[in-house]
Amino acid sequence: MSTTTIEPLLHRCRRETSTFRSGSKRFRPSSLPGFPRRLGFHCWRSFFCEFKPPHRPLLLRAVASSSVAATVEAFESSDVFFKETFPLKQTSLVKGKIFIRLGHGKKEQDWKLTVGCDVPGKWILHWGVSYIDDVGNEWDQPPSGMIPPGSVRIKDYAIETPFKKSSSSSGGDTLQEVKIDCDPKSSIAAINFVLKDEETGAWYQHRGRDFKVPLMDYLQKDGNVVGPKKGFGALGHLSNMFLKENALDSKNQETSTKSRVPQRENRLEGFYEELPIAKEVAVCNWVSVSVRKCPDTAKSLLYMETDLSGNVVVHWGVCRDDAKNWEVPVSPYPPNTVIFKGKALRTLLEAKEGDSGSFGVFTLEEGLEGFLFVLKQNENSWLNCMGNDFYVPFPSPTISSGLPKQGQTEGAETPGIPAEENEISSHSAYTGGIISEIRNLVSDISSEKSGKTKSKEAQESILQEIERLAAEAYNIFRSSVPTFLERAVSESEELKPPVQISTATGSGFEILCQGFNWESHKSGRWYQELKGKARELSSLGFTVIWLPPPTDSVSHEGYMPTDYYNLNSRYGTMEELKEVVKNFHEVGIKVLGDVVLNHRCAQYKNQNGVWNIFGGRLNWDDRAIVADDPHFQGRGNKSSGDNFHAAPNIDHSQDFVRKDIKDWLYWLRKEIGYDGWRLDFVRGFWGGYLKDYLDASEPYFAVGEYWDSLSYTYGEMDHNQDAHRQRIVDWINATNGTAGAFDVTTKGILHAALERCEYWRLSDAKGKAPGVVGWWPSRAVTFIENHDTGSTQVGSYFILDFPPIA
Amino acid sequence: MEVSVIRSSQAKVGRIELAYRELGLFSSKAHGVKALNSRSDLCFSPSTRWKNARLRFSPMAVRSEPKEVSRRPKSSDGLRLFVGLPLDVVSDCNTVNHARAIAAGLRALKLLGVEGVELPIWWGLVEQEEGGKYEWSGYQAVAEMVQNAGLKLHVSLCFHGSKQPKISLPKWVSRIGESEPSIFFTDRSGQQYKEYLSLAVDDLPVLDGKTPVQVYHDFCESFKSSFMSCVGSTIDGISMGLGPNGELRYPSHHKTAKGSTIPGVGEFQCYDKNMLNNLKQHAEASGNPLWGLGGPHDAPSYDQSPHSTNFFKDHGGSWESPYGGFFLSWYSNQLVDHGARLLSMASSLFEDTGVAIHGKVPLMHSWYGTRSHPSELTSGFYNTCTRDGYEAVAQMFASHSSKMILPGMDLSDAHQPRDSLSSPELLLKQIRTACRKHGVEVSGQNSSVSNALDGFEQIKKNLLGENVINLFTYQRMGAYFFSPEHFPSFTRFVRSLNQPQLHSDDLLREEEEKEAVEAIPMTSESSINMQTASKS
Repeated sequence: MSTTTIEPLLHRCRRETSTFRSGSKRFRPSSLPGFPRRLGFHCWRSFFCEFKPPHRPLLLRAVASSSVAATVEAFESSDVFFKETFPLKQTSLVKGKIFIRLGHGKKEQDWKLTVGCDVPGKWILHWGVSYIDDVGNEWDQPPSGMIPPGSVRIKDYAIETPFKKSSSSSGGDTLQEVKIDCDPKSSIAAINFVLKDEETGAWYQHRGRDFKVPLMDYLQKDGNVVGPKKGFGALGHLSNMFLKENALDSKNQETSTKSRVPQRENRLEGFYEELPIAKEVAVCNWVSVSVRKCPDTAKSLLYMETDLSGNVVVHWGVCRDDAKNWEVPVSPYPPNTVIFKGKALRTLLEAKEGDSGSFGVFTLEEGLEGFLFVLKQNENSWLNCMGNDFYVPFPSPTISSGLPKQGQTEGAETPGIPAEENEISSHSAYTGGIISEIRNLVSDISSEKSGKTKSKEAQESILQEIERLAAEAYNIFRSSVPTFLERAVSESEELKPPVQISTATGSGFEILCQGFNWESHKSGRWYQELKGKARELSSLGFTVIWLPPPTDSVSHEGYMPTDYYNLNSRYGTMEELKEVVKNFHEVGIKVLGDVVLNHRCAQYKNQNGVWNIFGGRLNWDDRAIVADDPHFQGRGNKSSGDNFHAAPNIDHSQDFVRKDIKDWLYWLRKEIGYDGWRLDFVRGFWGGYLKDYLDASEPYFAVGEYWDSLSYTYGEMDHNQDAHRQRIVDWINATNGTAGAFDVTTKGILHAALERCEYWRLSDAKGKAPGVVGWWPSRAVTFIENHDTGSTQVGSYFILDFPPIA
Repeated sequence: MEVSVIRSSQAKVGRIELAYRELGLFSSKAHGVKALNSRSDLCFSPSTRWKNARLRFSPMAVRSEPKEVSRRPKSSDGLRLFVGLPLDVVSDCNTVNHARAIAAGLRALKLLGVEGVELPIWWGLVEQEEGGKYEWSGYQAVAEMVQNAGLKLHVSLCFHGSKQPKISLPKWVSRIGESEPSIFFTDRSGQQYKEYLSLAVDDLPVLDGKTPVQVYHDFCESFKSSFMSCVGSTIDGISMGLGPNGELRYPSHHKTAKGSTIPGVGEFQCYDKNMLNNLKQHAEASGNPLWGLGGPHDAPSYDQSPHSTNFFKDHGGSWESPYGGFFLSWYSNQLVDHGARLLSMASSLFEDTGVAIHGKVPLMHSWYGTRSHPSELTSGFYNTCTRDGYEAVAQMFASHSSKMILPGMDLSDAHQPRDSLSSPELLLKQIRTACRKHGVEVSGQNSSVSNALDGFEQIKKNLLGENVINLFTYQRMGAYFFSPEHFPSFTRFVRSLNQPQLHSDDLLREEEEKEAVEAIPMTSESSINMQTASKS
């Protein structure tokens, strides 16, 4: 017994091993000898679908498929323990036209109204007539002579006549029409109708109202009238071509018919009109899922196939309990997989040959309860299982392994099954054999592919890790006091002059004023308003003003920049900005530009509908976005700092990004005349990059906003805020001391101290000032208030750069 | 069942291997079937866990068996890249400086595919207080970190001092030097160079009754016993400090003023008491006692150009006179003898460990374009346009089966000040030719990290040229090394070098073992499944 069960496994193992070794590329399914790949899939498909004629109602199908799937399960190869075909219900818009022709019948006095439609479906003309003396919009039953055969009377006001295949239409055309004879001599003023689609029960009206074909000229007040156009004079038979063109204008022209003067009676004109119609058609596709136990890794191989083509994305996850909570499984993932918000994976299915569908293979670890997925075809069309996620249950581990099943299967292939089914099943066993063969090859190929992906991932993660480690090492080396860049070289070589360190820390006696608040954008002319205040601010003793972020921004306040080079913002235009900078310079105040370098808002969506393509002069793509915020699907490296989650975070490790930013800062200095920078959210990226930027833009003064929370114990602010200020000092260090930082520590402590009279907070354990100012006074920008602290009522905020209080 | 596990682990390994190859750490030619085979050895042989598997699937196991024996021959092909650790990696109180940064750095280097690191061990730190009392703990900690990082270690025993960072000779030696200044090199004006003991005292019992060579020997012996566990495994190279800056040379340029673009010629350092005695004896022995009264009187001073005085003049300079010949031969022979003493001591001491002994020879490339090569002459290499001074040096290295470290692999002629008539490239070529002639293996170093950015191309040229260099030590880890200005280009440099195959095997072993361990539970579980199956 045991030999027999092992053998097939070994067989498979060997085969796969050899495939692996010899490079399985040669074994493409298409070259499988004797079984053209498409044929194989075709068999597979037809087996599941042959009982469904196209465009059949769905209900039937769902029932049928599950029963068939059950049948198949018994006869599929041993290790497939789940197989099901799910219907995919989807609607698509079929566009076509309705045409209305009023013309002569065989005899001169016989008029015929023809209503046709070229959209396939079961169309019904729901109609009635209006008599001359009718008022309002009530319908009446037409005289029985008008009613075409096969019609049904609906109460006393309407007739329903099914459309018939047009006699004039050629074979392939699906033109349907209804012909109604009308007697112009009767007292019928108009024929009213709507179209009804019996399949969906949908009504099709004309401009929200009934179609109205006047048989008699009378004052036409309504826009819903379909009829002959005056000015084209001639009776009847207008050429088709001409009418078609005319039909395009019909809407405009119809309005003009309102003003038409009443015509003589009996003066009936023939006309032909086409109106567009769009019908939502339910399209039924299918997705079939089969799960196979991978014999050699104890993992499960899930094979998914669908007749959907184009970009079919499987949005999937796994669950470990029957609560069906989505989880992201462990890697490896199939090729073309992205992690979506850390909760699910998105895998782009591979297209089958000839665009006849898509497929994918998923390798899943053990111990999972099920596989959950929904499908997404193209953009924004989600396909689910009757409002729920598709769910593929896995067998509980206790029953696992396909081997016992094999025994059952073998046993089951005995009488007891109806002959008819047996026939199908033998057919299916045959195709199933081919399919599993193909599938094995496919999974081999895809595992090889995923291997490649993995190696690429591994490579990337190695490089990222190297970079991270280097940055860490750099920071420590940098911050330790005895550094020896230029080692004494006894042989005097040409030594480069040491890198000039531009310390953008000003004179140390700056008094900085934030030149805006959180509501300054509201007037739309802040620069103008600020201009008038320059002299006053100067007289108050301010030496530096911090202007609002100048760039075009998604948020009005300016902290969600889009196009760096577009300096027309809610605060005013670029010209006004230049002017205000000039004004401040005239009164001797330096101007800081508020630059947001951590994040930038994209202007375009990528193919996944994610906003991560930038516009404007710096038209970066997703490589400029850090990879570790799944919202934005960045393709850059991991962030070198904290992430700001509301917008794509810029990956400063990219050379092109740094170059562009340096160019931009330089441009701002030259073009606008900024003297320095207030740097927003510098927690978001490594200070070393900032050093680079500051070196390039050589500001007079630069101050970073390194804002994080103070330490608290049981809701009480700690006395020792060393960790907090250490983080800020570390950051200053990372910038090589080229920038100062807002002393947020001091601010926080001051708040607590003043609010609650806890003046003991104002000195640290060593008797120094407890904030950054106590450790690195020359780089500490003491900070009173700014726009983020909630005090929008105050006009401007003061930031004093003061030496430690003794 | 087990077969499948092997397969999967191979597949994974293959994947990682792929990753490394794409990182550029693999030599493309050596990659192939061989790699796969050796990989399966690694899966099997180190672990007894696989015994069962081996029994059942003997063909595979047997095939892999013989390879294990020949695993890792000392690579004679391809380049091994080392990076120097900071000079002050161990502080003067024997703790590891910036241990976290070093650890991160080591890990980064490992990931980058660097083979190992070079660790400067300072005499002045280990035997700081008292002769014969050694404190290795700091260096042992570093060695352990290196070992844990899976890197190799090349140790430089520094018997010199350093100005930056300030590391002096052992305090007890300095104390002796205060009362007995003649143990230091001395120049014409009587200035002492206190960062290396004069080679003239090598065999004089000036250090509390011991000769410096004895002291060096005891130091090396102590090192050997303290690092017994790593010598020959983690530590696979030792370079002996042979003089100032660790190089075999006189401190001829130590007074050179910084900032002058044109380096001077340096000064002869033969004015300490013992050197002069030695010279005197030598002169007397050669029958010209008057020549033994001092060094050349007409040599320029440190910063002067060759032509400022008579000695180095291109035409008719004293260097070409019989006196010049006498003096320069003596001066350079003293240096070669000194090197021979230390290298023979080291090579005999470490002979049984299989660790290669290295010595560093300076690249005195300025004024190479003159006829007299004054920079080389003052530093002790009697190399002129008419005489190859490196033959003797190479021969000395060869006779003590030592390898030669040559710095300046990053220097190109184009970047030298034009007026200095300097040619690092030609000099390097000359020394390498001498080494090839005597079968001395050369390993490379760059001169300084600060001009590395331009230097990478030059280094590559030197490393991958017609005479392949097996070992290159990049100098040196520190803040600048990891800075955004430098590190990315270093990464590119490493990736552009093709690393040898065997080296990559080493890199992979760790990961493979992890894979193998991971594979185990799967085996047992699937075999349980199998049993259930056969029972049913």
